Amino acid sequence: MASVHLAGIRKTFGSSVALESLDLEIASGEMVCLLGPSGCGKTTALRILAGFERPDAGRVVVEGTDITELPPQKRGFGMVFQDYSLFPNLTARDNVEFGLSIRKVDKAKRAASVDRLMEITRLTEHAAKYPHQMSGGQKQRVALARALATEPRVLLLDEPLSALDAKVRESLRVEIRRIQQETGVTTLFVTHDQHEAMAVADRVGVMEEGRLVQIDPPQVIYSRPATPFVAQFVGTVNTLAAQRDPSTGAWSVLGAPAEVVGMGQVDPAGASSVVVRPEQLQLTGGHGSPGTITSVSFLGAITRVGIQVEGAEVVADLMAGSVGTVAVGDRVTVAVRTDAGPVVAATR
Amino acid sequence: MSKFLRGLFLAVIALYFIGPQLAMARFAFQSIPTPLLTWDRIFEGWSLKALITAFGKPELWAVTRTSLMLAVLTTLVVLALLVPVAVAVEIKAPKLKPWITGVTLIPWVVPPIALVVGVAGTFRNVWPGYLVSPLAMVPFYALWAMPFTYRSLDAGLRAINARTLYEAGVSLGASPGTVLRRVLVPNLVAAVFASAGLTVALVLGEFAFASLLLKETLPTYLASYQLSSPKGGMALAFVVMILTALALHFVVRMLAKRGVEFTPGGM
Amino acid sequence: MAVLLPFALFIAIFLAWPTLTVFWQALTPKGSFSLDSLLRAVSGPYRSSFVNSVELSGVSAILGGIIGTLLALVVRDFASRRPKTLALLNSWSSVASQLGGVPLAFAFIALIGNQGILTKLLLGVGFDIKGTGFSLSGFWGLVFVYLYFQIPLMFLVMFPAIGGLRRSWEEAAQLMGASSWTYWRRVGGPVLLPAFLGGVVLLFVNAFAAYATAYVLDSGGQLVPLQVRFVLQGNVISGEQDLGYALVAWTILLLLLCLVAVTVLQRRTVKWTQS
Repeated sequence: MASVHLAGIRKTFGSSVALESLDLEIASGEMVCLLGPSGCGKTTALRILAGFERPDAGRVVVEGTDITELPPQKRGFGMVFQDYSLFPNLTARDNVEFGLSIRKVDKAKRAASVDRLMEITRLTEHAAKYPHQMSGGQKQRVALARALATEPRVLLLDEPLSALDAKVRESLRVEIRRIQQETGVTTLFVTHDQHEAMAVADRVGVMEEGRLVQIDPPQVIYSRPATPFVAQFVGTVNTLAAQRDPSTGAWSVLGAPAEVVGMGQVDPAGASSVVVRPEQLQLTGGHGSPGTITSVSFLGAITRVGIQVEGAEVVADLMAGSVGTVAVGDRVTVAVRTDAGPVVAATR
Repeated sequence: MSKFLRGLFLAVIALYFIGPQLAMARFAFQSIPTPLLTWDRIFEGWSLKALITAFGKPELWAVTRTSLMLAVLTTLVVLALLVPVAVAVEIKAPKLKPWITGVTLIPWVVPPIALVVGVAGTFRNVWPGYLVSPLAMVPFYALWAMPFTYRSLDAGLRAINARTLYEAGVSLGASPGTVLRRVLVPNLVAAVFASAGLTVALVLGEFAFASLLLKETLPTYLASYQLSSPKGGMALAFVVMILTALALHFVVRMLAKRGVEFTPGGM
Repeated sequence: MAVLLPFALFIAIFLAWPTLTVFWQALTPKGSFSLDSLLRAVSGPYRSSFVNSVELSGVSAILGGIIGTLLALVVRDFASRRPKTLALLNSWSSVASQLGGVPLAFAFIALIGNQGILTKLLLGVGFDIKGTGFSLSGFWGLVFVYLYFQIPLMFLVMFPAIGGLRRSWEEAAQLMGASSWTYWRRVGGPVLLPAFLGGVVLLFVNAFAAYATAYVLDSGGQLVPLQVRFVLQGNVISGEQDLGYALVAWTILLLLLCLVAVTVLQRRTVKWTQS
């Protein structure tokens, strides 16, 4: 297993800058997700690590060795592509075996490790099928097995789940995480889906316009976003006005006291607004601001309601059973829950 | 492949494809026989005389008229036959599609040189009057236009999701005929033009069938005129080639603008 | 399905009737069932015209296939950078693949016929092309001319197929340690093979059925289409007519076989490129 360091990477395509001074360290055995909208540079970062693109500046270091100039063939990585990228003329088994046969691993050993991988990825019964005879989920499992067959130092996953249906996507991401933890392979996973990133990664790096804006464990990314962009990209947020008593330093939001922390490096003191997650809001009979319910959607475990309050539309997620029935047009009082962690000051 | 080898390869290919055209143009428009041509006389004696003489022959205009009529009629016949079939099969009976595709490919294995024998052995005996006019060749030319016409129409219908469009139109209260006229056919224009372009090229270039049935068309006239006037024949052939090329290029360009790929000839 | 009726009638009258008549006549020379003319059509002098036609079509199809594929491969490398050049090449290929026929033959006569400009040019640098036995009406001469429409046709067949090769296949192979050669040998080549073979068969049919070019360059030649003409026009001796039917029957059977091959190969291509 190997540690990875992308150091000061810069990459431009023509006049557009894809990556700007990107610094990314991945510890040995760690799984890092790069998350961001399309065009944010996450795929470019992965392709530079794979060796398909050359950075204009910066270095790629693996296990302390500079591999910036090393061709992909010699990096000893494995990769899973968005479009599966299975060789259509080979069966599932032959696809998995491809890398080993190139390495001239001897036949018996090859068969043994292919068998083991087919088992891990639950493909044993599909071994003789060709890609065009398999479903998307099966194909992507073959691709995963193929990438792991050569026991790569680093595993690269380029939007591996985006072409799949919601159900398959969810089960396969659990499987990818399980296999990654079993094999302990250092992994870089690139996606634009925040649920996916939060669900699988040890750390999530959020990218915006070629820059890495925050890299932290999923919980931190969610509860302590470093910028408004990160806050909005991972989950739904309400931006609400906040008042601070200059003498005591106490905050109030929606007419009730609230705990406020700074965003990123910024001292919250000067802020005039905060970002609040839907689940940090509640309907109360006590302190709070009066509002009118404008929409109600039942989502199973929670009910999401839209509320017109203080001249703005906010979204609140209510646990099932925590309230009675609510209906559009109801007049309610909205407040920030005091038991759901601090809200984050938005610097504007 | 190294850059140099690729460049060399492309250069050789380019020479191969431009050379014959240039040679033909020189032969037609320069009045110096090849054995007498030397480097210092390379710019001497160029004129359009051979072409002007050739243009002066009334027979040329007669066969051109015949060929153009054949081209237009063939295009109309093949479209009139295949548009309803392609639409009906796509919308109502997709199961029949492999069969229709198969049938429209058969003319491809019965090329002019083969079918002419069968035609001579049937129509000539049973219905001697039929083969008198050159326009009698229209149905046969329509046959050879079928493989690419059907493919092009079928691809066009699939590209616009014809079945969904049809169902949407009918559910909005339009009659099937209205949907066909106002929704499907306008969306097929690109496919129709692609196949029309190829059909015209096919008819204007077809030699075997016309020649063996002793019909005078542009290609057969070119061959015989070449015998009596080598220079004039070359000049005409050159012009015909350039005009066909320009016309097809125009069709391809127009299709490219509409985002349609051009699938030519054969199959 | 009333709309199918005119179509069916049309096929029956103009295609099925003449075609089936050919087979019927080929099987019943002089009014009774016999394999005589079918056998005679592939023996003696007629055998050699089948052999010649198959050789000419085969060689021009394989050469055209290889050159056309190389062209498509070379073009793929710069296609994305120069869309205008690609569009031009595409339309030019569509045009050139249609340029069989009389004008094309003339153009080559002007180039390297006996009085051809290139013939003279080569003689000027001391290379006597006639001295090598090369003649436009000979085997290699016809191949040389046929390539003019075979190469562009192959380009048109192969370019989309090569475009169907995913970049990620090559990248996946690279990451697994495969050299470019290994990738082409084990993935790129095999994936293109059905399209290539299908294209070659298409070219074969294209050449086998070509008549005008051969007629202008070598009207007395020993090729099936030219023999058909002889038999058809010179039906003086009795039995010649039946022989014509037999020649055509064999031709149609051969081309039918090719059609089946092309269909099978194309199905394979579609399956692979969509997976």
